[in-house]
Amino acid sequence: MPFLRGSVTFARFKVASPARAPREKLSFFQKALETHAFEPIRQKGDEDRAEGFVEIEDNDATDFSANALFHGPRVLFAWRTDQLKISAGRARDELVRWALAFERENGRKPGRAERSEQKAAIRHQLRARATPTTRVHDVAWNLDTGQLQVWSGSRKAIGEVLAALEEAFGLKLVPLVPGAMAAQEGVSDEALTPTKELSGAGLEAGHGKA
Amino acid sequence: MGRREAAREEARFMRGETGVDGQSTAEETKDAAEVEKDQAREQLLRGRTWLGRELLTWLLWRSEPGDPLMEHDGQPVTVLFTGRTVLRGLHGEVVELSAKGALAPYSVQVKRALADGLLVHSARLRFTCGERTWEAGLDAEHLDVKSAKLPELLTEEEDDRITERLDLAEQLSGFVDALVSRFLAVRASRSWGKEAVPAMRRWMEGREKG
Repeated sequence: MPFLRGSVTFARFKVASPARAPREKLSFFQKALETHAFEPIRQKGDEDRAEGFVEIEDNDATDFSANALFHGPRVLFAWRTDQLKISAGRARDELVRWALAFERENGRKPGRAERSEQKAAIRHQLRARATPTTRVHDVAWNLDTGQLQVWSGSRKAIGEVLAALEEAFGLKLVPLVPGAMAAQEGVSDEALTPTKELSGAGLEAGHGKA
Repeated sequence: MGRREAAREEARFMRGETGVDGQSTAEETKDAAEVEKDQAREQLLRGRTWLGRELLTWLLWRSEPGDPLMEHDGQPVTVLFTGRTVLRGLHGEVVELSAKGALAPYSVQVKRALADGLLVHSARLRFTCGERTWEAGLDAEHLDVKSAKLPELLTEEEDDRITERLDLAEQLSGFVDALVSRFLAVRASRSWGKEAVPAMRRWMEGREKG
């Protein structure tokens, strides 16, 4: 759990909407988290990836009890992703080995349909033996200040967590960066065009939004 | 090649559309420097990153004398750039410059690069408030807190330690927000162009202390 140990790396957001989450309502948080609760990859299924919310102290649990969620003014939970990776090289080697054995046995090369069938069988075998890689990104939502932190250094992972939070809770999150903070404070875009004297001449102003 | 195709090729050559090797003469060749500049420009405009770069550059200038830049719980907070500082720009031959060394951020070389139109893109900052010290990496685009060092935890119980660590992380985030607010107040005012920028330019050119 990065909250307690490990690198302190996090992205910072302001919860713009709802401005105040109903902190007394455990069901509000439980329901939202349950809509995107983590479900492990099924051994017999086809998916290679599973993702969803889990409890902060037990990354296998998705009960989201009050004790697990509320820590003072904060709601704590985590976003877990499991990924099964099947080595393409290994699958190719096994297929080549099978094709040679097939040729020896039948006196001809396997046909396209036979190869494709065997490829699927090899993939299935390798998948059954593979162990998923698990990554967990902690989320801290301070209900008093309305600030939310995603403890991750990967922008791709942060983007995924944000999308899930917005969908599950109906949140509108604003990144705590100068452009977005200026917009929140009502500073006009014209007042914030690039400063020519600092970044050099030749940059047209007024591009890009936070 | 058929006679008709040969005639077509000859016609293309006669019109100047192809060379003697049959290759198109209108082929666009964008040189590496141009591609690099386009990328640098896109990075600067994305999410109004220039504001983050101007913030960090302004902060470098403001922090050099070592005076407190804000208060936290009635105690002064000083900010110091420490270690690796990355500068980025659009013009000239250098689009990125990395300065390493404990005193590198305030070095003549860095100031010279700033005077040439580069801005601070990422840096490591040390915040001191009373006897406690925080350190964190910040980047201009997202203002994410990276690889932060928090003050020593005082509590023993695991639950309390989580809360204390989160409190300290939020204090660090609060320092960053306070600096952004201070910067925006200056940046959106008339004094930015009239006083702050000329003073920064003088400091970069070695004509004035920070």
